[in-house]
Amino acid sequence: MKMTLTHFEATLILAIFISAVLAVVTKKTDEERFRYGMRSLGWFFVTVFGLAWLMYLGHR
Amino acid sequence: MSEKLTAPLPPLPPVRQWLPPLVIAWLVPGGGHIYLKRYYRGAILGGCTAILFVLGLLMRGYLFEPMTGDLLTTIIYVGGAIADRAAGLLYILARIFGYSAPDVAGHSVDYGTKFLVIAGLFNVLAMVDAFEIAAGRKD
Repeated sequence: MKMTLTHFEATLILAIFISAVLAVVTKKTDEERFRYGMRSLGWFFVTVFGLAWLMYLGHR
Repeated sequence: MSEKLTAPLPPLPPVRQWLPPLVIAWLVPGGGHIYLKRYYRGAILGGCTAILFVLGLLMRGYLFEPMTGDLLTTIIYVGGAIADRAAGLLYILARIFGYSAPDVAGHSVDYGTKFLVIAGLFNVLAMVDAFEIAAGRKD
């Protein structure tokens, strides 16, 4: 059995897990962890979509 | 010129206080936290590590073997091998059950390889966190 993910799916999974782990190990309270995790996830999305558009426009 | 003020670290406690959680944290992802009764943090760290590792296996990611050569090859293959082995029992079990995937090109395999390495790095973070808790440097 081999699983195949698209670039977007793989990046999304990585972003969620990295945000969760970094939030848990770097912040002290649950509220801080939640806020940090959401902010980190948001920045991952902004970066991914930004780079994707950059590559798309660069290849036109 | 600004000078950053940092509180001095407390002295390192006896080895028997921090070594068991550190070893357990390496062997069982999240286990160090559970040993230290931080169940919720242990579950998140262990869950993220295990899920990412299994996804890496399902995507037929490559488990690095240490290889030396030019600087870049050495960094990638030795660093990757260390990171893979940092996943503890997950790595050991994968090897025991005969997991072996070739280092081939392809985006899915490539992501799988990264997932396996990152799972190991997650476990390194969990080990450091468990050590700091056990050593009284973190709540």
